[in-house]
This record gives sequence, structure tokens and C-alpha cells, in this order.
Amino acid sequence: MKISWRVWVLTFVLALSLVSILNISLASNFLVGALVLSIPFTLTFSKSRTTKVIIMILTVIALILIIFFSFHKGAIITSISSDSVYFTDGLRKGMIITSVNKNTVTNVEDYIAQINLIDFQDYTKIEFQTNQGNFLVLANQTPNIVVSNVPKTNLKTGLDLGGGARAVLKPINTTLSQNDMNDLVSVTSSRLNAFGISDVSVRGVSDLEGNKFLMVEVAGMTRDDLKEVVGQQGKFEAKIGNETSFVKGEKDITFVCRGDATCAGIESLGQDSSGAYVSKFKFSVSLSQEAAQRQARITQNLTLDPTDSQSLSKKLDLYVDDKLVESLSIGVGLKGSDTTQIQISGSGKGETQQEADDDARNSMKKLQTVLITGSLPYKLEIVKLDSSSPVLGKDFTKNIIILGLVVFSIVSLFIFIRYRKIKTTLAVILTMFSEAVITLGIASLLAWNLDAPSIAGIIAGIGTGVNDQIVIIAESVSEESSTLKQRIKRAFFIIIGAFFTIFAAMIPLFWAGIGMLQGFAFTTIIGITAGILITRPAFTEIIRRIEE
Amino acid sequence: MARVRLPAGAFSKMDEKIENKGEQHTNAVLKKHPEAKKKFNFNYDKHYGKLFLIPVILMLFSVGYLFYFYSQTGEFIIKDVSLSGGTTITVFGNFSDTEIQSLESSLMAQYDDISFRRLTESTSGKSSTFVIESQEGSEKITASIEEILGIKLTQQNSSIEFSDSALGESFYRQLITSLFISFVLMSIVIFILFRSFVPSMAVIFAAFSDIVMPLALIDYLGIKLSAAGIAAFLMLIGYSVDTDILLTTRALKKQEGTINERIYGAFKTGIFMNVTALAAVLPAFFIVTGLPDSFRQIFFILALGLVADIINTWLTNASIIKWYCDRKGIK
Repeated sequence: MKISWRVWVLTFVLALSLVSILNISLASNFLVGALVLSIPFTLTFSKSRTTKVIIMILTVIALILIIFFSFHKGAIITSISSDSVYFTDGLRKGMIITSVNKNTVTNVEDYIAQINLIDFQDYTKIEFQTNQGNFLVLANQTPNIVVSNVPKTNLKTGLDLGGGARAVLKPINTTLSQNDMNDLVSVTSSRLNAFGISDVSVRGVSDLEGNKFLMVEVAGMTRDDLKEVVGQQGKFEAKIGNETSFVKGEKDITFVCRGDATCAGIESLGQDSSGAYVSKFKFSVSLSQEAAQRQARITQNLTLDPTDSQSLSKKLDLYVDDKLVESLSIGVGLKGSDTTQIQISGSGKGETQQEADDDARNSMKKLQTVLITGSLPYKLEIVKLDSSSPVLGKDFTKNIIILGLVVFSIVSLFIFIRYRKIKTTLAVILTMFSEAVITLGIASLLAWNLDAPSIAGIIAGIGTGVNDQIVIIAESVSEESSTLKQRIKRAFFIIIGAFFTIFAAMIPLFWAGIGMLQGFAFTTIIGITAGILITRPAFTEIIRRIEE
Repeated sequence: MARVRLPAGAFSKMDEKIENKGEQHTNAVLKKHPEAKKKFNFNYDKHYGKLFLIPVILMLFSVGYLFYFYSQTGEFIIKDVSLSGGTTITVFGNFSDTEIQSLESSLMAQYDDISFRRLTESTSGKSSTFVIESQEGSEKITASIEEILGIKLTQQNSSIEFSDSALGESFYRQLITSLFISFVLMSIVIFILFRSFVPSMAVIFAAFSDIVMPLALIDYLGIKLSAAGIAAFLMLIGYSVDTDILLTTRALKKQEGTINERIYGAFKTGIFMNVTALAAVLPAFFIVTGLPDSFRQIFFILALGLVADIINTWLTNASIIKWYCDRKGIK
């Protein structure tokens, strides 16, 4: 049997899409691609019908087995603090940990179990085996590494499915130029990085009405933290009484200690009188000579605090965006001193010591972030703030798979009842499947974030595809005297017409409403384009073969 | 409408002519169903004007209702918080029925615009999910829920969406603009495809009705429309015209058979397309529950649109095409 080049194109694109979607090793990918491509070869060269069917079934089983067994095993590092000893010793984000101390790790649970076995009372040697080599770490604290199971596909999920937080911000009373926007993006990114968040997307978006917004999407951050870190203008001022002692920027602050246990840390203080646990954070800051002298001049005039003989009468007040965040007592020893080393401290509270420590650490990180990163020339207003639970997203993904199977079955059943031909029905199933796979393949190639609207677009795209296929079948089985070629031509006139109307109808969604619904337009257009260029021609060829 | 009705008197002569031609014509499709042919030819020629009345009445009713709705509310739709601004909180966990009921009543007492819905029931300790919507800011509502339920809302037990009202309003304006642009672009494509006025306008009118009828029904049912819902209307513009293109192409470009036979042939294919498409979008709404509301709404609107499309393609568009072909002498 001679296979039309159109079917070859479909097979080739299908193989590429599968390879692009599946997150498996290169060798397995190669095997998957080869097996898919072997299907048309089988059809070309095997003579008898039974051999064809048997080889086809074997190929499909082999494909499923290969895919099933070649998913990566281990725990992938999704975030690692760059000031930890684990980072210094070579572990990086994206590495897949396959064993800890020679004990195999196949998933997150294994990893946690292995780490819990280690006694961190003293410095211990830990051996990590990863897909990028082995690492030996000498540490006395549990790794501050976040791991997750290795994803089975390269598909990226949007925030609504994968979980995370999103903020959309707008400057108050100003419109931004492109340069302003670029500055805003870079300041915000560096702020999030300083806060210790790396998995983040910060970009400027505009809408149909010409408004410009800053959109920030992060996976591992709570909504409140996101709001504070990106919503602040980031002005900082330290005041004693009404006088400014120092502000941020290199003119006043030459160094901010962070991630170094010798000059920044948390101290657990136990329970206070009300029963809550309390912690204290401390980090040192180096002032410039000029700022230190200014400080000396102001403290010179202060008297002793009448209630506390160890402190001066006024406090050092720290303001972020004109809001008081900490009020620090100034030790007697600092009166009139022009020291350039000062210590900034604050406290954290919680119901357990761990919570209190975390609270203190969080406050410290926020303050450090403000001190380290630049401030913005204007105030921002949060116009949209969303957080999605990864748990709900997981349910959604499960339901979507069920939905896909239900839709496939119903449509196939309808086609079979109407045309009573198993081959035609199989051709329709193959086409629907191909369109879904090709759309996902392109989405994974372009690193498109698949959100709920994108998924809806895939289903709608397949739905219109089925309509096109019905038109092709109807024209092919027509008993008119015109030639099959003429009828196929007419079918394509209808299909191309339908293609352009959907295309035209979806295009505005790319710009409307800061692109929140562009996923819907994106996957629909990819689906129908793949349909008209790849699957429809192949489908027509298959139907023609069946009918002849 | 006046244009369509005007030449009604001229039909009888044409009908005779068509029937005569039709008798002579031997078409394979109708050979199979001789009785269908007679019935179909006879009835259709005589009654298609009346069939056209059905969608016209539905359309007048829908447009009338939409304007009535507008006069009552000042809007053509009921906006949900994604378009009006406000907060949507989805909470899930193991809550007892009494807990959920007390939450609902306390929230109702505190806020006057609260909407409370349960997605899944909490039967025998299974986790339940509920959605709370209000035009208030997220902090206030979150704090109230935390206080009443005595838990902290985190990303492990809830999803929270907040839009500022100015942003919501701007979304709405933009989506309506998009809907308009979509419609114009679709109309241009249709004019380029058919290059003649009446058939193109017939398709465009059918597409317009496909939007207006579901919209009126949604208002009538009191369903709050989300941003995703409006996107579904855009999709509908593209999705619903394929049967109209099929009909018009078959009627105008196909050379064999009488016009009635060609319309009937297109109907047989097209109605199957409509039904299959409906079967493809309905499971998202009915069978698979537990999907987010905005997602289900997309498919609900597509389903309503497809039902409207059955009426508008096979009664509205077919009648206009039939009348056009009769007038132009296309047989």
C-alpha cells in the first residue's frame, strides 16, 4: 500500500509532538519517535491484512510500555536558597536527586524519608546522586531545598492549574513609557530575587484601551507576601525623632548583611508572658562615613531613656513607604558615636517556636529586600490579586482527563452510529487524538502556560475539527455524479471558510483584558491551524482510500 | 424582514417551475427516499416562509427581552465579579453541613451582595467545596471566613481571586469591543467567501441571532456572566457559522439536484454536525462536575449557541437562501 505524503507529514508531526510533550530521556524520546514513524512503514510494506493489524497493535503496546517505563525517577529540585551550603557545594535548581547517601530516591516521599534519617546535630557528610553528577555536602542543618516529583511531561501549567499567586499592578496617576515599564520590571524582578523567589514571571502587559500594567506571577509565594514585596514603592528611611538618620542607597548604606550567619540570623526567645512564642531577627548594616557622622550628630543631643538606663530617649524608627515598620532602641554606647556598623533587629511571633522563627525570618527578608533593591519613582496600586491552590488545580487536571475521554467516546460513538463504518470512525478518532497531541506539542515547544481557558480552547478546537471531518465524510460518500476530487474541493472551501471565521473571531482575545483569556484564542487557533494544514489533508486522504 | 416578505406572491409561479424541473431530475440521494422527496418538496416550497417566522418571532422576543432587561437593570447582562470587580473565594476541606450553613448565614448577614454556592456536597465526611463571591475586597471577606470557620485560609485549602472594580469594568468594555471586532471580522470573511450580498447577510444575521438568543436566555435564567463567558460568545461567532457556510456553499455552488434537494442534503450533514458538536460540549457541563465555574460556563454558552444555531441555520438562513435562489432563478 502506498502511503500519501500527507499521511507521512501527519505521522512526522505527531512523532515530533509526542517527543516535545514527554519528559523522558533522549534515548527513549528517540525510540518513541521511531516507533510512531514505523507505523506508516508497516502499512506500506506488510502485505497481508492480519500482519498489518498485529504489527500495529504491537507497536502501540510497545509505545505505551516505553513511555510508561522511561519517566524520570527521583526528586527534582524546584528551589534552592543561593546562600545555603548545599548551593555552594554544587546543588542547583532543576537537578534530579536520584539517591541520598547511596539510598535510592524515586519520589519526593523517598527524599523526605532519607533526609529525616540524617542526624543534623553535628556536621554530617551527605552524598547526593543527581542526574548531573554526585555531590558531597558537609552540613549541620537540614537542606533548605524544595523538591517535587519529576513532571511526566514538559507541559507548563498556568497558575490556575499549577497553583501560585498573581498580582497585576498599575501606577497611580501616571501612565508608563516603555522605559518606565522596563525599569519597573527589572526592579520588581530583583526584589523578588532578593526575597529568595526564583520561579517568577514579571512582565509588562497592555490592553485594548492602551493601559499598561505590571503582571507578576509566582509559583511558591503566598498572596500576602507577594502583595508586600511587589506592592511597595520601596522607599526606606531611618529616623530618630523627626530627623532623618539614613536612607537607602549606596550614599548612606554600603553593605547589607544577608545569608551570612555571622552577621544575620534568627534567635529563638521562647514564650512571652501571653504564651505566644517569640523570635528575634538581627542583621548588620554598614553605613557610609557621611551617614555615620549624621547619626552621631543626632544621637549626641539625646538624653537617657528614663525607664531604661541602657537606652537613649529616642528610638531609631524604620519607615518603609512612609509606614513605620520597626522601632529600635539605641544603646547608650552609641550616643554621639560615628560607628559605621549598626545592627537592625525586629521580632516575630507565632503559636510555635517554628512559626515565630519563620515569622521573624520573613520580616527580616522583607526588610533586607527593601534595603537592597531600588525603589520605584511612583506608587503602585494592586488592581488584581489572585492565588490559586495547587490542590484544586490537581482536581481540575484529573477532571479534564475524564472529560477528554468522555468527549472522545461520545463523538466516536456518534460517528459510528451515523456512518456504520469502523474504519471511518477510527480515522476520526485518530484525527481528534492527533489534533490534541499536536496542540499540546506546540504548547510545550513554546513553553505556553496551559491554564483553564487554554484547555477549553483545545476542546473547542477539537469540536470544530470534528465538524470539518463530517463535511469531508459527507462529501466523500455523496452519490453525485461529480468526481470525488470536485467534491473534496468543495469540502475544503467550506473548511477553509470555517477556519477563517473562527480565526477572525478569536483574534481580538489576544489583546482584550490584559491577555487573561488569550490562552483560549491561542489553543483554538493552534488547533484549527494544525487541522487545516496537517490533519485535514491526511484525513481526506484516509477517507478517500476507504471510499475507493 | 419586509424585504423577505415582499415578493411572497411571486413564489407560487416559481414553485411550479421548480417542481416541474424537480420531477425530471433524477437524484441519487432522493432516489433512496422517494416518499421523503415528495413530502419535502411539497411542504418546503409552500411553507418555508412560515418556517422563517419561527426564528423571527424568537428573535423579536429575545431582542425585546434584552431591551426590557436593559431598561430594568441598566446593563445587557448580569456581570460576575470578574467583570464588575470583587472577590471570589473557593474554599475546600472537611466541613460539616452545619458549619457550611452557619458560614453561609453569617456571611449573608454581614454582606448584602454575597453569593454562596456549593460545588460538591459533603456526604459522609468527603471534602466539600464552596464558592463565595462578593464585590467587597478580598481582605475583608477572607477575614470574615477565617473568623467564622476558625481556620486560616492558605493555598492548601483555598483559591482567592480579587479584581479591582475599575479593572473589571475595563475588562468588560474590552471584551464587548472584542465581541464587536470579532463580529465585523467574521462578516468580512463571509463577504469575501460568498461575494454576494443576500447570502452573506443571511449568514451574518444567523450568527447575530446565535448570540442574541442565548444571551436573552442567560439573562432570563439570571446567570452571572464571567469574562470567560464573553470569550465563549466570541468563540460562538466562529463556531456557529460553519453550518451556515456549508448550507450556503451547497445551495449556491453545487450544480446537481434542485435547490430543495441541495438544502435538504446540507441539512442532513449540518444537523449531524450540530448534534455532534453539542455532544462534544455538553459533557463539560453535565457529566464532569467539579470543574471551575468559568470553565463550565464556556461550554454552557457554546451549547446554548449550538441549539440556537440549529434554528438559525435551518430555519432562518435556509429560508433566506431558498428565497434568494428562487428570486435569482437558481435551481
